[in-house]
This record gives sequence, structure tokens and C-alpha cells, in this order.
Amino acid sequence: MSDFGTVLESGTRLLRGLPRRRAHVAQARREAAAWAAGHPGVQAQLVVDERPGTPVVDFDLLLEHPEGGTVALTAQADDGVPWLIDHSTHWAAGQLVTVDEVHLSVAQALTMIRSLSRRDTTPHDEIVDQCLILNEIAADDGPVPGEELQAAADEFRRGRGLHDRASTLAWLAEMGMTPEQFEDYIGGIARRRSFRRRKEAELGPARLAARPGDFDRVRAVWITGPERAVTGAVAELAVLGDKGTAALAELDGEIETVIAERFAVDLPAVLADAAPGAVAGPVPHGGGFLAGVVLDRTAARQDERTLAAAGRAAFTEWLAGRRREATVEWHWS
Amino acid sequence: MILILSDRRDDAVELVLPKLERRGARVTWWDPGDFPARGRLTAAFAGGGHRIVLDTGAERLDLSEVRAVWRRRPNAPAPGESVTEPSHRRHAIWQAEFLLDGVWELAPARWLPSRRDVERRAHNKIIHMAQAAALGFRVPETVYTNDPAELVPAYERAGGDLIAKQINSDEFTVDGADHRAYTTVLNRRHLTSRHRLQHEPVILQPYVPKAVELRVIVVGERVFAAEIDARASRTARDDWRHYDDDRVRYAAHRLPDALERACVELTASLGLTYGAIDLILTPDGEYTFLEINPNGAWGFVEQRAGLPVSEAIADWLVAADRAVDRAADNAVDRTAGDALDRTADHAAGDLADEKDGRS
Repeated sequence: MSDFGTVLESGTRLLRGLPRRRAHVAQARREAAAWAAGHPGVQAQLVVDERPGTPVVDFDLLLEHPEGGTVALTAQADDGVPWLIDHSTHWAAGQLVTVDEVHLSVAQALTMIRSLSRRDTTPHDEIVDQCLILNEIAADDGPVPGEELQAAADEFRRGRGLHDRASTLAWLAEMGMTPEQFEDYIGGIARRRSFRRRKEAELGPARLAARPGDFDRVRAVWITGPERAVTGAVAELAVLGDKGTAALAELDGEIETVIAERFAVDLPAVLADAAPGAVAGPVPHGGGFLAGVVLDRTAARQDERTLAAAGRAAFTEWLAGRRREATVEWHWS
Repeated sequence: MILILSDRRDDAVELVLPKLERRGARVTWWDPGDFPARGRLTAAFAGGGHRIVLDTGAERLDLSEVRAVWRRRPNAPAPGESVTEPSHRRHAIWQAEFLLDGVWELAPARWLPSRRDVERRAHNKIIHMAQAAALGFRVPETVYTNDPAELVPAYERAGGDLIAKQINSDEFTVDGADHRAYTTVLNRRHLTSRHRLQHEPVILQPYVPKAVELRVIVVGERVFAAEIDARASRTARDDWRHYDDDRVRYAAHRLPDALERACVELTASLGLTYGAIDLILTPDGEYTFLEINPNGAWGFVEQRAGLPVSEAIADWLVAADRAVDRAADNAVDRTAGDALDRTADHAAGDLADEKDGRS
């Protein structure tokens, strides 16, 4: 056999013995590099073909022919794996997450990311929440009322500064969406919004009745900042009721001050049930510290705004409960 | 009396049940997977006749009163948890399957889509593809083979646009993880492992260019066609079972009359009263047959394309139920089975015609 014939035979033996798994590619590269070092005349290079959606990989060995040109060598041993199985993909290939009955494809997730609120929660949690809602509306395939569609589209466009047709079309082009796909996409958002509103209206009254104190209207002042600064300013908070808010102007420059009226449930937790005049904190808060004082508190009343707040709180709690019960499987962890 | 044989979590049954109730039908939904663990079944022969009683745990059913059976997605029989020795479990399942097959054969009922053995035969792609070709469907040049030497010629005949599919779906794992063999579009890399073909046969077909894919649902003599346009989806464009609903468009589709009749004929010729036929409409307007699933999914055809399949199934079951009753009153001098089959077919057809407004 010629020298090159011997090299081919040896290269074939190498390829047949390489581990055909993504996790072992580094090992395969080391073995191929050692082999190449032993056959310097053929300039050997290993080509790794990592297929999507499967741990199985393929290899080729490129060799320089003695008379010039490249020889590509590929070889697979008969390991008894049938052909279609060798070329199969993981059942969830192309999918990001499964939440109960909803399988979210990577493409769907990328689309969904465009409509995430990015408020108070990680994208992971918000994607799961959206999937939970998709589970709830899976059977809802009736037409979306025109006004709901319009409201969802308006909100989406406002949120992205798409104030006219030209900017919207430019955005669609950038995202690779056709106007029809955009309409379907907005239809999906409108359905989820509509479900959320229905659920809030359904749960709100009972939530308000169960814990009306959560929906007291509370006027409060709270400060946040480094522990030393917040602790030093607590005395100023104690006299706010008597001297107005003028004392706040003297606070340490590192301190951030908020004066607001909120529903009790929307206040920093330490202030939610605090009596007027009593200083609460300092307590750890978002990497710093927080202290505050309630200026006055008005008992909850059953008006539209309060019911809406109760509905929002109830929906958040309902969703948290669903999240706890749901089966969530991330496929790309 | 209508008997539905299916898993208790079957959404398709949930879609049809309210329609049956609206039609005043008496319905029992039972999963043979409950037998023999919880259900009790007795076939008693005496005095030249027989009596078959099914006790589901919730009710006792005289199977001679069952006129229509919808065999949807029943689970296989399973013994109770206290039967733990594997060979005992296998033995119990084997006995249970025989009793079930026997009593279903004796029940004087019309079946949707068919009894188990007929469905199994019709499900075989080789059998139904031959039948479709015989009925004039356009069928892609197809090779079923485990001969490695067939791969490269098929690839070349297809001009490099070759797909591979499995002959029957089944579960398997790779490195312990569940994998699927979806429709695979071949490239030259696939040819380099041709020896693997020897281990199990596959289907090789030229890639059929598609304007849209179609799922055609046949219920008795009624036909519903949904088009599935997956061209906008990178995930689903080669196999819509990847389900990418944001990018896949579903819509009702009007088939040419002759093709619609051929779909009914194909279904009936396989001994079925229901079938889900997959076709491709090519960009040049040709309809190409892929396969028929005797119990294939139709929920998305109703929900995404707005086609009233559940109503049609309810119509068929109720018509079969009532037709058999009428026929049983009249058919004293005829062979019961044949006469009942014909009468039920006609009754279902009449009802379908009424709903479609056809004369």
C-alpha cells in the first residue's frame, strides 16, 4: 500500500473511533490533533458537524493529497443505531419552554419578548406567566373585538414610539414581520389582555372584601439609600407630620425621597400597615435601605379605582398560585 | 345508545359531548384502559343466544343496546395495581384484549372510524398508499426500504430534494432523552451513513413543493378540508407537526368535487367511517396524496379553520344510533350486519346532505 493509502486507512480508523457526541467534541479534537501530529505530511484537519437539536455530531477529516488537492474522509462504524434514529432530534428541539400544555417555540418566545413589560420581574418569570395565560385562553379562538384589537395595537405602538404608519412599517421590516403576522401577533396580545381584564373584574370584589386594609389610600414619605445615610435621616422622618416636608430638603445627598399617595398594597411592605406618624425602618431594600413614615391613611372605599387595584392584586396572586402549581420545563437550561 | 371509547382526558370527546347532548343522545364514555382494573365485562352464552354486560363502575350497560361506537383514543387494557408480577400483568392484558375484541365484534353497532383490526390495517402506509394510487390520487414516487443501496439512487432521482419519514410513529430515546423522527430533508451528509438503513426500513420521497398542506377530514360522507400554510415558519415548514401557531396560517379550503368524492371513497374502501387525509397542494395546483390517518387529529381543523367537525361526528353517531334502531325493527329477513351497515351509511349521508343543503 502507498504511504497515502496507509494514511487513509489510519485516518478511517481514527474517524470510526471518535466519540460522536457534542459533549465529547473536545476529546475528539485532541485525538485528531494527536493523529495529525503523527501524520505531518497530509496537513490533517478535523471538521466537526454539530447538528442542531441532537447530541449527535459528525466528523470529516480533510487531508492534503500528495499530488495536490484535498481529500475529505468521512467514516461511521456500524454501531447498530438505525438511520432515522441517528438523524432524529430531541422532542423539544426548537422549543424554549413547556408550561403545562403550552409548548413555546424559540420563534414564539422571541416574538413574545417584544411584548414583555420588563417590570418587576425577570424575562424568565414573565415568559412563564404569559404561557400560563396562554394555557387559560387555549380554547378561546373567537374573533377579537375590533376595539380591543385597536387598543392593544395602540398600546404596543405607543410603547415603542411607533407613532405613525411609516415608523410602524419600518419596525415590521426590521423585525421581519408581515402586516398579517403583526395583526395575528396583536390579536394574541389582545386576547391575553382581555383575559386579564375579565379575571381582574371577576376576582377584584372578593379580594377587596377579604382584606380591605390593603386598599386604604395612604399618603407616605419614604427614603432609600445607603444604610448609614438612611439610619441618620430617621429622626427627620419622625418630625415630618409637625413640620411638613421641609426637613427632607436637608437630607444626605445620597438619599432618594418619595412622597406619594398609594394603595396600601402598592407601598413598600414595611409601610403597608403602618399607623400614621410611626416611623418604619430602616429595612434592607433593593441593595440599600429604606425607611418611611405614613402621613395619613383613608379607609378603602368601593369605587372604580379601588376595585381595579383589588383586581390587579388578585390577578397577581392568582397568577403566582398558578405558577406554583404549573409544570415548567425549560429545554435550554 | 352511543358508546365512546377514549381516554378520560380526551379533548376531542369534550368537543363532541355537548353536541350529542343537544341531540338528546344517550352516551356512555368509557376508557378500556379501566379494564379489568375497575370495569367489569361479562359475555354470557346460553340458550343459543348471548348477553354482554359492561359495568363501568358508574353504570351497567347491555351492549346489545349500543348502536354507535366512537373508538377515539382508548387506552390499552390494564390490570389493577395489586397485580404486580410482570408476567401476570401481561397475562391479564392478553386475556382482557381478547375479551374486548370479541365483545366489540358482537355489539350490533356502527363504528367510527372502525373496529381496532380494521383501523390497524388502514393505518399501514403501504396499504393505504396502494389504495390511494388505485383510486387515482397523485402519489409521490415513494420507496419503502431498508436497503442501503436504494438511498443514493433515490437522492439522485429526486434531484437532491429527498425527504425521509418513518413508516410508523413510535417512541425512542437517544442518550436517555426522548427524540422524534420528523420529516427529514436530506443533505449529502445523510448519505454517508447509508449502512444504518439496514437496521430498519424508512420511507424515501422526493420533496413535494407546497403552496399549502391540507388536512382533509372525512366523517361518513362529509368532507372538511383545512389548509395549513407553514411557509412562514422555519420550524414547521417541512413538517407542520412542529406546531408553530404564530407563523402557521390555517384556513378552510374548498377541494375540487372529484377529489372530495375520492377522499370519501378512499376512506370507505379502507373500511373506515372517518379519516384524516394529508395532501399537499403544489404551487402549480396539483393535489398530492401523502397519507391517511384513520383516527387523526381534527381539533385544530375545527378551532383554527372554523370547520364544524364535531357537529359532523355528533350527526354521524346519532344517525347511526337511530338508523340501527329503525333497521332492527324492519330487517327481520335480512342478514343483520350488512343491512345495518347500509342503512346507517345512508342515514348518515342523508343527514349530512340536509345540513349541507344538497339535494
